[in-house]
Amino acid sequence: MMLPLVFLPLVSIFVFGMRNGLDKFWGALTAQEAVFALKLSMATSFWATVFNVLFGLFAAYVMSRYNFWGRNALIVTISLPTAIPTAVAGFALLLLWGPYGTLGRFLAPHGIQVMFTAGAIILANIFVTFPLAFGVIKPVFDTMNRSLEEASATIGATRWQTFWYVTLPSLRGAIVSGALLTFARAVGEFGSTILVSGNLAGRTQTAPLYIFAKFNEGQIEAANAIAIVLALFSFLIFSVLFFARDWLDVD
Amino acid sequence: MSTEENVLKAKQKLIEDHDPSTASTTASAQKATSVVGVSKRFGKTSVLENISFDVAEGEALVLLGASGSGKTTILRIIAGLEQPYTGHVILHGRDVTELPARERGVGVIFQSYALFPKMTVEKNIGYGLKIRKRRRKEIRETVNELLSLVQLEEHRKKFPSQLSGGQQQRVAIARTLAYKPEVLLFDEPFGALDTQTRVHLRREIRALLRKVNVPAIFITHDQEEALELGDRVAVIYKGHIEQIGTPFEIYNQPATEYVATFLGAANILEGVVRNNSVEVGPARLSVQLDKQKFKDGECVKIIFRPEDVSLSKTDFVRPGHHKLSTAVIEEVSFVGAYERLRLQLDKGAADTCTTDDSAFFLTTETPEARSTQSIIATRPKPEATMTKLNAGERVVVAITSFTVLPLNQKQPNQK
Repeated sequence: MMLPLVFLPLVSIFVFGMRNGLDKFWGALTAQEAVFALKLSMATSFWATVFNVLFGLFAAYVMSRYNFWGRNALIVTISLPTAIPTAVAGFALLLLWGPYGTLGRFLAPHGIQVMFTAGAIILANIFVTFPLAFGVIKPVFDTMNRSLEEASATIGATRWQTFWYVTLPSLRGAIVSGALLTFARAVGEFGSTILVSGNLAGRTQTAPLYIFAKFNEGQIEAANAIAIVLALFSFLIFSVLFFARDWLDVD
Repeated sequence: MSTEENVLKAKQKLIEDHDPSTASTTASAQKATSVVGVSKRFGKTSVLENISFDVAEGEALVLLGASGSGKTTILRIIAGLEQPYTGHVILHGRDVTELPARERGVGVIFQSYALFPKMTVEKNIGYGLKIRKRRRKEIRETVNELLSLVQLEEHRKKFPSQLSGGQQQRVAIARTLAYKPEVLLFDEPFGALDTQTRVHLRREIRALLRKVNVPAIFITHDQEEALELGDRVAVIYKGHIEQIGTPFEIYNQPATEYVATFLGAANILEGVVRNNSVEVGPARLSVQLDKQKFKDGECVKIIFRPEDVSLSKTDFVRPGHHKLSTAVIEEVSFVGAYERLRLQLDKGAADTCTTDDSAFFLTTETPEARSTQSIIATRPKPEATMTKLNAGERVVVAITSFTVLPLNQKQPNQK
């Protein structure tokens, strides 16, 4: 079952990509637009990851340390983007920030254009990967021994010192996992990006959009080269997640 | 029953403690920690009522109580992890009630030890100084001193998960000693350990506390532990202090029936006060009573421990012993270090007080059942082997010491 469903499609990327020799492959990969698309994907995913890890950390801390009215509703809201189709997410962002959008319409007269920029890609990435880091970090907060923080407080630490020296080290594994998951997901994001970025080659075209565009133009080789890079990249992230688990969680 | 055996051991230790050369000299020493009129509520339920006590410099006080008695809440209030509803916490003359935990300078040894899992032993111990921004050299020196004090030098680079329970506990203590705490608070310090390790660690901690001379408050539900660890013991019951005193006082002069039964096996009989004596059946036990508290003709309870019972086959009663009654031996059992006997007192021995107080458990039966009563006695091995006693034999029962309490203790004694 696994063979035709998962393994063979992946293998065929490599078979097709290498069919015309490494030179061709390398040529397709180092094309100006291809390099730009890869760089843009990395950069936008990086900033989305930074934001979502910080936010996830903060949200997980608040949700697991404080009990307040509407907490569960808030948790559901945070987790909602997992269930929303990415095209809907992109469309929603357009409706908000686009030139005629709810907020964008007030920004446009001042010359501020949010959509169809790298910023729009970051916004889309943040939206779709929003719950990932939170989802990994919160369970660790929930199961963390409260007496560690209490001990730190009685020893004389401020809240910030306790967080920095005691809480954060215990979250190291969860933070790294959360970041890798977020990043992997953001790099591959397509549905929302294609709507908000404008898909302008060399300006707002990310790697997955590049694959799509080149495929449409019939340049299978160009599309294939980037596909290989993205596939390898995701293998790498998942092997880190898989093999580094023990190392990250050593007590 | 092993608990009785333990109590016996603990009692022997009490006697050793009362040797004047080792007796603690804390009575007149300075107050290191005071809890004044503390009460606490969670919602509408009151969990602590008017708790007050002092701990002297270098003294070890044990808060002893069953689970749910509120003892842990007292500890958390002193540590600043919980706010009292009323009352004050005073550390070396400074009212710290309003201060957050981190500004109080108390050392808490948590039941789980709460060592920082990602820090080595050294780092754990040095943590208090590090966050106080002390110089590296000073931190290193203090950590070295403490490592040798708790004998963990060779484990300094290990992580807590690589240490045994006892070693972890020593790290936890050293970690608090590093910043010279005002008082050490131990939350069920031996709860997670097996009996053997527990007894061993207990002695170790006592020796360590004597060395560092820091006042300590322990929390436990284990009476043997309380008697052995504490210079004084406070028995906590349903959110108030039933009695506070030296282990000797708590064990031998319990202020309430709860204290008497919580600290070990106790026999309870009814009697009537008749000027300077208590009549229990035909027996007259002469005793000095507080005339204010006990009136002539008043019904009382007399409480005595199994080891306070002296048995003999003849009617001869040793001087200082109070003859109680004759009895039939119902059962003899050997419980390791001593012998335990169940005796049935002869009719009339228990039936002096004709109250109809159904709350008192000895009088809940029919009048016939009331007139026959069982008590428990224990005898040390030498005596048990010298004078053999068998079930069915008749003996004369005398008691060496006993406590008199009012029959209806409405309000527990709040001193």
